[in-house]
Amino acid sequence: MKLAGETVLSAPRERVWDLFNNPERLSKLIPGCEKLETLGPDEYGGTLNVGIASVKGVYSGKLKLEDQRAPAHYRMLVDGKGKQGFMRGSGTLDLEARGAKSTAVKYAGDVQVGGTLVQVGQRVIESAAKMMLGQFFAAAEAELKAEAAGTVARQGILLNLWRSIVRLVASLFGRN
Amino acid sequence: MYPSAFDYHRAASVKDALKMLSEYGEDGKLLAGGHSLIPIMKLRLSQPAHLIDLGGVRELATIREEGGKIVVGAMATHRAVQSSAIVRAKLGLLAECAAVIGDIQVRNRGTIGGSIAHADPAADYPAAVLALEGEITIEGAAGRRVVKAADFFLDLMTTAVRPGEIVTQLAFAPIPAGRGFAYLKHRQPASGFAMVGVAAVIALAKNAACESARVGITGLGAKPFRAKTVESALAGKPPARTIAAAAARAADGIDALADIHASAEFRAELARVYTRRALEAALARAAAA
Repeated sequence: MKLAGETVLSAPRERVWDLFNNPERLSKLIPGCEKLETLGPDEYGGTLNVGIASVKGVYSGKLKLEDQRAPAHYRMLVDGKGKQGFMRGSGTLDLEARGAKSTAVKYAGDVQVGGTLVQVGQRVIESAAKMMLGQFFAAAEAELKAEAAGTVARQGILLNLWRSIVRLVASLFGRN
Repeated sequence: MYPSAFDYHRAASVKDALKMLSEYGEDGKLLAGGHSLIPIMKLRLSQPAHLIDLGGVRELATIREEGGKIVVGAMATHRAVQSSAIVRAKLGLLAECAAVIGDIQVRNRGTIGGSIAHADPAADYPAAVLALEGEITIEGAAGRRVVKAADFFLDLMTTAVRPGEIVTQLAFAPIPAGRGFAYLKHRQPASGFAMVGVAAVIALAKNAACESARVGITGLGAKPFRAKTVESALAGKPPARTIAAAAARAADGIDALADIHASAEFRAELARVYTRRALEAALARAAAA
């Protein structure tokens, strides 16, 4: 499955880079992330308790970052598995400054997915992945805005789902 | 596989069900017809510790006329909707849609409330509910609220129903006489799901131009939607000449789903073809009315 896209976050590039490289802050943004710890240099491990509607599951996984060129680019390798399925893949993240207070985030990845969840839910896997990416970026946006305002952002799966829907609607009207 | 172990509870009323939902929280799951939930549980993709069966809540299964609207209880089975005299007479599109869901066994057990709350992207009902501009009543501990169909389906299998809430009924304005409607779908041969399903309602003006059209499409994207570009391409014009061009816009701007049964491109093409066919069928019936 290929996933690619672009989104805009309201913060200067350096702060977006810092956010995406800080496992503690990242763990609050990833939907259902219960734990994200450093296993080694540029290697992180964690558990995700995530799902859509009543299909929920716990997945444990590893994330490795390489080819890092701060603050513009890195490559990420992912390997996760749970009782319902597994996923393995790699992707690149590119950050481009858009003005002083805005960054374009371009992501492109190729993931192999398998297991019961995929056999049965093949037609929805891609949409589910996009939905979770949407939640992740909505959470990142809220976190960056809160950081700028010196406050703490509230995070949570439903809250970020709502935020991602609002962002989607706003972008349809050309305000993003 | 067998589902993983769960406790079964039979709710006696909506209040009872709400109480159980709040007691069991994330471990509780409502059971309506079970034809989406039980298969998922048998695959162990969903493992709720507590199932709350709404089957005994009789007041949720009624179909009645109230305040000029047709009110369909959330637990009304597809069979009940398909055979209801009121629905066939005044809300024919919904009966036509119910009649082609799954197979006889599914229609005997499956419910309209369960179908829209589960919001499988290939479910049939959402296309008709959107085209008919239904209003969905959702009840929770904080009270009752009504959500318009257009605001109900938010994202992949995600609806306006919040945790701890229950869909209790759907209300529809009767289809005015003279309007033509049709629900056509491309059946997945094994499951009967709508690979693409299109519900269309056409209203003709006195001069036979199209006064308005409502087109609901399911199966194409992550969520069912109203094909507004198709609708506006038809409005105010003589339909016979504009249907083909309007239907060609059916998949515009939609990220189509893809699987081994249909690629995204094929699904988009199915949407265009079935939109044209549904509009032509609806038009033929409107002219005849």
